[in-house]
Amino acid sequence: MMHCYLYLSIILFCLGIIGVIARRNVFTVFMSVELMLNAANLAFITFSRVHESMDGHVLAMMVMAVAAAEAALALAVVILLHKHKSKLDTNVFSLLKG
Amino acid sequence: MEQSVNYLGLIPLFPLLGAVLIGLLHVFTCNRTKLPEKVYGILACVGPVLSFVMALKVFVALKGLPPESRFLVHKAFTWFSVGDLHINMGFLADPLSCLMLLFVTFIGSLIHIYSIGYMGGDKNYGKFFAYMNLFLGSMLVLVLGDGPVVMFVGWEGVGLCSYLLISFYSEDRSNVLAGNKAFIVNRVGDLGFVLGMSFLFWAIGAQGFDYLSLKAHVNDPAMTQGVLLTVCLLLFVGATGKSAQIPLYVWLPDAMAGPTPVSALIHAATMVTAGVYMVARFSFLYAEVALAGSIVAWVGILTALLAAIFGMFQEDIKKVLAYSTVSQLGYMFAGVGVAAYSAGIFHVFTHAFFKALLFLGAGSVIYALHHEQNIWKMGGLKNKMPKTYVTMVIGALALAGCPPFSGFFSKDEILYSALATGHFGIWAVGVLVAGMTAYYTFRMIFVVFHGEPRDHHAYEHAQESPAVMTVPLIILAVGALFAGLLNLPAIFGGDQIVSHWLAPSVTEHHPHAGVFVEILAIGASVVAFAIGIKIAYAKFGKGAPEPSFTGFADFAYHKFYVDELYDKVIVQPYKAIGSSIWKVIEPNVTDAPVKGVARLYMVLGTAFKVFQVGYVRVYALYMVLGLSLMSLLLSQSLN
Amino acid sequence: MFADGLFIGFAVLAVLGAVGLVLFRHPMNGAMSFVVTLISLAGLYALLSAKLIFALQLIVYAGAIMSLIVFIIMFLNIQPGDLPQEETKLFYVLGGGIVVLPIGLFLAKIVKSLPEHSTEILGNNFGGVKEVGLLLFRDWLIPFEIVSILLLVSLVGAVILAGKRGTTK
Repeated sequence: MMHCYLYLSIILFCLGIIGVIARRNVFTVFMSVELMLNAANLAFITFSRVHESMDGHVLAMMVMAVAAAEAALALAVVILLHKHKSKLDTNVFSLLKG
Repeated sequence: MEQSVNYLGLIPLFPLLGAVLIGLLHVFTCNRTKLPEKVYGILACVGPVLSFVMALKVFVALKGLPPESRFLVHKAFTWFSVGDLHINMGFLADPLSCLMLLFVTFIGSLIHIYSIGYMGGDKNYGKFFAYMNLFLGSMLVLVLGDGPVVMFVGWEGVGLCSYLLISFYSEDRSNVLAGNKAFIVNRVGDLGFVLGMSFLFWAIGAQGFDYLSLKAHVNDPAMTQGVLLTVCLLLFVGATGKSAQIPLYVWLPDAMAGPTPVSALIHAATMVTAGVYMVARFSFLYAEVALAGSIVAWVGILTALLAAIFGMFQEDIKKVLAYSTVSQLGYMFAGVGVAAYSAGIFHVFTHAFFKALLFLGAGSVIYALHHEQNIWKMGGLKNKMPKTYVTMVIGALALAGCPPFSGFFSKDEILYSALATGHFGIWAVGVLVAGMTAYYTFRMIFVVFHGEPRDHHAYEHAQESPAVMTVPLIILAVGALFAGLLNLPAIFGGDQIVSHWLAPSVTEHHPHAGVFVEILAIGASVVAFAIGIKIAYAKFGKGAPEPSFTGFADFAYHKFYVDELYDKVIVQPYKAIGSSIWKVIEPNVTDAPVKGVARLYMVLGTAFKVFQVGYVRVYALYMVLGLSLMSLLLSQSLN
Repeated sequence: MFADGLFIGFAVLAVLGAVGLVLFRHPMNGAMSFVVTLISLAGLYALLSAKLIFALQLIVYAGAIMSLIVFIIMFLNIQPGDLPQEETKLFYVLGGGIVVLPIGLFLAKIVKSLPEHSTEILGNNFGGVKEVGLLLFRDWLIPFEIVSILLLVSLVGAVILAGKRGTTK
């Protein structure tokens, strides 16, 4: 039974990676990163249940707090980008070229 | 058998230390207030005089030893060692080097004192004396060296100082070019010396590369006639460079661009005799193969003839003396070539006195006439400069070979040895050259000192030089007069002191050809001298105008166009090769790979730029790709 | 049995929500399907006896973070022209799937090698507020404080980044 939870975590994680590399929409990329974080959280909770120790729960809380902080900042950056170029395409910002 | 003494090392050390001290003083006061000239003068003369005192001490010490073991050695330090072979900075004082030491330090000291007056007022006074001391130190290293390697150190040192001193008046480009010429031509000779030295080392050098060891091993089976001949000839090539013989004599006349004391010391008395000294040192090699000696003698006497021809037509007083030096050096090589080593060295000894005297006298004349060097602008100076006149006449008589002056005895010894060993050709040419020597020497004396002055303005301002310049002239004149007594042959009742003194150092067989041959030789020399001076007196004694040259005389005045020939055949092609290397080979062969590597990096960089698309998404893709490959590999290994 | 059925339901919902997130064009639609995923994950946490985390997931993630995202999406007033033209989206997704496949298989292999364990619902001494609190304020005190500083930093950063400036570009 534990294996099923972990397989589910792996599937969600891989879907998150696909979302990051295959989509150009800024919000979709950001939410795919959140999806990856959630998949990791699921793995944490599962293993915590397996070992019957509460450390995994605490770590999952930390991950959530970090995700919240990151969300705030990332969205602030998205707002700035939209103000600058009025587009939500990651391909528009290519100053790193060459 | 050999005694070890520590003070041998001091003899070259004093002038070298003096050079360093004076050099530092000059450098540090260059842009500030200058030290008074007296300071430099005294500092500069301390070294040579001390070396002369030490040389006397060496002489006394050697005299106290029995003739078979007249050696003093001193090992200063081990220069380098390779396996079992140790090359030491060592010094050897035997009769030959002692004789050289004595007159080198004596005449060196006198010329240093003379220079205090001659170089007065020059703004590089200190530099001059630093170079002169450095030269003297190098010459002493050359003379005292206990092996060919140490001699070569001194050899190179004197070559360097010769260059530095010739181009001393460096504001004038022609002086610098003359210095370059001297150094480069010397270098060509040095190549021969190095090759000879290497060959010698390859043959018999492994058990010790100093003169005593080499002499002991000279009959090893490795020293075949071919090897001996090659070594002797290669070493002689070095001597032709340093001592201005055919074909490398072309630098010596140009070297007269340096100050006159330099010409006196370096290019008359000491440096140019280093070649003769070297041949005498290696007498144990030359004595084994007669062909080498013959070649040396013929080259020497032909050089003497050629230089005498040139000297007969020159108008610069120093150039006359320069060609005279080349000519006399030819005599010396003729002497050592016919295995009369002591005769050759004795001529070195006497020549140092009278040639230095003549050069210093010429310097006195030039100084008085405010640096006028063309004899056709001089004349009638004998009343204005009596001391210079008398001493120069003494020097000229010695040079021309008038009995009983020193030059007569030394030159006669060489000619007699040539005749006695059967070299009639050399003897005949030698007699002819003796006559020519008398002619051009007295041509110079008559034109400069006799007759009416040709340039009245300069004549009015001429006066006798100060005592600091005339006293050395007088001392040298005494030497030129009486030095011959040191080697009086038996026919005059003498004991041949110098020959006996030198006997332990050189491998010599004194020829005995009978009284008749000796009288013939003496007579021919005297007759040649008389004819030469008579012709000179007839043409120039009563004041002659400047001649214009045609035909052969013009050809000889232009020195047979030898310099132009060398330039066309050697110098220009060499420059062309250098130029073509610069223009063609360097950009394509040496620069191209380096530039090619740089271009390769640029090309690679441009190729890799394709991956830097600028989209962060693609960079994330690269990361995932990498991760994916890694997990592929890890999955395989996990199986 | 009931638990297995719940698990399957929640799992399917989560995967469907994730697929929707990856495939929808408008971010609002993607955000909504993501919320579905988050809520099903909360249910999965509850099935794993993680009572507090189940509540926190709903409150913080689905409630706070997602509402922030939805707010920003609506705030920016996205026009159809602002969104990128992604005609080849499906192609890229499939390509990405192929690239990601080895990673997933590798992870699956690792998981398969772990020993099996049951995940029955545990009782009172696991997963509750008291247990988490005891651990948090005893063993994990310092990370807790650091996380609070982190939140402060992000708060300040967000204000600076998105706030009014003296000279606007």
